[in-house]
Amino acid sequence: MSNPFSAGAAALDARGRLRPRTRSGRLTPYLLLAPATVLFAVFMFYPLLYTLYLSFFDWNMTRPTKEFVGFENYISVFTDPNFGKIMGNTALYILLLLLFDFAAPYVFSFILSFVVQKGKNFYKSSIFLPSVISLVVGTMIFVWLLNPISGPVSAIAKALGLTVPIWSNTQGLVIVVLSIITSWKIFGYNFIVVMAGVSSVPLEVVEAARLDNIPTWRIFLNIVVPMSSSTGIYVLILSIVTGMQQIFTPINMVTKGGPDNASTNLIYAVYDQAFGFFKTGTASAYAILMMLLFGFLLFLEFKFVEKSVYYEN
Amino acid sequence: MSDKNTIVFDHVEKTYQKNTVIRDLNLTIPAGQRLILLGPSGCGKSTTLRMIAGLEEITGGELRMGGRRVNEVPSGKRDIAMVFQNYALYPHMTVRENITYALRVHKLDRAELETRLHSVLEILGLEPYVQRKPRELSGGQRQRVALARALVKQSRYLLLDEPLSNLDAQLRVQARKELVKIHDLYQQTFVYVTHDQVEAMTVGQRVALMNQGVLQMVDTPYRVYNRPANIFTAKFIGSPSTNILDADWADGVLHVQGQQIRLPDCWSWLAERSGEHELCLGIRPEHIRLQAGRAENGLTGTLRYVEDYGNKRGIYVDVGGTEVVCMCDRVPCAPGETVSFQLDSDHLHLFSRTTTNSLGYPDEVTESDDTQWDSREELLSYGTSA
Amino acid sequence: MKTKPAVSVSRASLWHIPLAFLVAMALVPVLFALLYSFKSLQSIYGDAGLFTSGFTLDNYRDIARQLPIVQITLNTLTVAVLVTACKLLTSILAAYAFVFTSFRGKTVLYFLLISTIFIPFTVTMIPNYITVSKLNLFDSVLGIVLPQLADATGIFLLRQTMRSIPKSLIEIAELDGISRMRTLRDIILPICRPSIVATGIIFFINSWNEYVWPTLILRSKENYTLSLAMQLFSSSEAGTEFTTVMAMAVISMLIPVVLYLIFQRYIMSTFASSGIKG
Repeated sequence: MSNPFSAGAAALDARGRLRPRTRSGRLTPYLLLAPATVLFAVFMFYPLLYTLYLSFFDWNMTRPTKEFVGFENYISVFTDPNFGKIMGNTALYILLLLLFDFAAPYVFSFILSFVVQKGKNFYKSSIFLPSVISLVVGTMIFVWLLNPISGPVSAIAKALGLTVPIWSNTQGLVIVVLSIITSWKIFGYNFIVVMAGVSSVPLEVVEAARLDNIPTWRIFLNIVVPMSSSTGIYVLILSIVTGMQQIFTPINMVTKGGPDNASTNLIYAVYDQAFGFFKTGTASAYAILMMLLFGFLLFLEFKFVEKSVYYEN
Repeated sequence: MSDKNTIVFDHVEKTYQKNTVIRDLNLTIPAGQRLILLGPSGCGKSTTLRMIAGLEEITGGELRMGGRRVNEVPSGKRDIAMVFQNYALYPHMTVRENITYALRVHKLDRAELETRLHSVLEILGLEPYVQRKPRELSGGQRQRVALARALVKQSRYLLLDEPLSNLDAQLRVQARKELVKIHDLYQQTFVYVTHDQVEAMTVGQRVALMNQGVLQMVDTPYRVYNRPANIFTAKFIGSPSTNILDADWADGVLHVQGQQIRLPDCWSWLAERSGEHELCLGIRPEHIRLQAGRAENGLTGTLRYVEDYGNKRGIYVDVGGTEVVCMCDRVPCAPGETVSFQLDSDHLHLFSRTTTNSLGYPDEVTESDDTQWDSREELLSYGTSA
Repeated sequence: MKTKPAVSVSRASLWHIPLAFLVAMALVPVLFALLYSFKSLQSIYGDAGLFTSGFTLDNYRDIARQLPIVQITLNTLTVAVLVTACKLLTSILAAYAFVFTSFRGKTVLYFLLISTIFIPFTVTMIPNYITVSKLNLFDSVLGIVLPQLADATGIFLLRQTMRSIPKSLIEIAELDGISRMRTLRDIILPICRPSIVATGIIFFINSWNEYVWPTLILRSKENYTLSLAMQLFSSSEAGTEFTTVMAMAVISMLIPVVLYLIFQRYIMSTFASSGIKG
């Protein structure tokens, strides 16, 4: 299964490892791991802690001194009139990302693994293609495709007697379109990963269910989903984690969080506070909130996968 | 050969955390001998082999190879060649590259390398395949490449870990003959792990039988079969396995399942000398001659079930609630009827029920093998015969 | 892998409709960009509208006139090559250590490194920005490259592949007295080559497409990467440069798409099969 967290236990079985050959050999693992570990420490773990630290200070990145303000930044985040909107939008984004990049790939990978038999490779490779293309490019193309005045979608709509709304100015719709643009890029990747889990469900199990006349949707929900749930949970979390980060690109390029904060979210708020208003304190407080959300997901991942949810392997 | 290629296990132990997998192993493998490590899965035979190879750390005792303690000597310095069960061929190298890889790394003289290569290729009939990759070979060919790679090193020790278990039955028979011939040619000290007793008997000059990390018996195939040192050995060797019946020795008579049997004098004397009362009687299915009805001084039971093997028949007899298997040419009577058999003095085994060890064999029971039997102690000792 | 259908053929074939829709969603934007990058704006606003049949390279010439596009492409390439090489190196070393050596704290360290997948970019952004500014690396290739020289996904994928190498292969090398470095070079790396290539391609493509971090670091046009050059067009007057933008899009996606088409099988199987038997 494609899940980096499920792999741990088996790897570390006492008999599986090779012993260090010599005394100097005992240092080898640490030397080998030093580059990655140091880089992660400097550019991942230290920044994480530093962001936490900054969230308790008032600073603008250029002033020589930082002023300690305690929980002031968090309070101003929570009392910000836009806070409710930001969190609501974040929730809506997550909901849409889960729909487009978790539920849909799951269903389609089941169909491609067990229902449809022709054209598997064609479907797989075409669907994966957008994930190698920059979201900047994707966003630009979609902006033109959906251009309400001269885009082809509006041309077709006009021919059918419909009008395309100015989506980037429409509350609600703007989030849906931005999510679709982001999903255009990440759908294929998630699809391939979840497909690995789904297609590892033995065909015999599915065939046995067919013999018992179990409806297809039940085979999916009662057999395939539980049997591929480790990969499933990984992709679920991945769609939130990468989706939330990727969605920054179309927001920043098209709406800058507008109209009237209708498309902003936690990720964009961090950027906006830091590089729009140069308020590192509030930006960091938002970032820590984001991290707490992701940390919670990480916890879920460990909890579920360590309990080895289901029977893969 | 001198003892310079001898392998000696001296009170060797192997523990993983709290789990002891090898207990007080004492075993001598004389130079140039083919020794088989035999036992059920998980008995520690592979661990024993891997300790020789230096792939498992020895947690207690001493392992000597060629008279030298090697506990701390790394694998690469032990002058060992090994054939793995999965062959461990390098998938990205051709047959030729696989065989010569180690020699090339160690910068063996080019001419010497070619000579050795061609000699093993010829012996194993691999010449047509030198340019192939492992995935383009059949199972039998892969096995021979693995063997070639081991032989080309011309090391002092050759270790084989279930080398034939991935081959089909026919190929296995052929391969084991080949292995014996090759060993006669190279005369390396040869340690071979298998769970298959037929393989063990046919390939080995001596067989070391292990169970649950404890060495049960080391001897020639003949003696392992005919003079099992304990109940485990008696039951493990031979198929169907030896019938073991609880028997009590009292008043000069053997009480088996409520029936009384007088033993031949030499056996009575042995049982008496042992001072034990709770015994086990062992009889191999192929040594039982069934007859319909009751027999004088025989064990009586009811015929229950017959299996037809084509050449032989397996007959299941209920003797006072215990099932006894007999291999016979013909069926003496119908199921449900009474049958009986007498004990054959030449094919009888007595064990102590408390220690499960053999009581030994009377001098009158002769061996057709040239090695002679003296005492039980010697049976359990190591490295004297052959 | 051929599998038999689990559902009757006639009903199953209905599923080709939504699948075809997915394929259209994936490919239409790409084909749209490709098609219109070769059309002139005038012809589109003419009678034939979007269905014009003209062909022109003017859009590409426009880009070359407005931007140092060759330089920008080279910048993108330099960043991507550096990032890929370093990420591969650090991932290979770490994966090797996790699979083939034993040491105290292995599990903890593995989970610690892998958990970086969950650290969102925004959390590290500000401190890394400050670090790069302190090192005076703004507006430079090194400034972009520096924070991304190690990658948890790479460690994970290569560890998966290395774990699938039978242990006996390494043992036979050990038995034959072959050094660890030699074993890595002659045995492990060649066997892992397909997934190293695939992982490398993914690193390369992701770095090529990198947007947020270069936006923060780069200042001058001659140091821009393609993503940033692309963004210039998003802020420019809408409508007027429609076809030029499509040409820019084609330039930006050309290399990733070509790489993908060449190494498709490697990439797919690394994501798919490296996962199975986790």
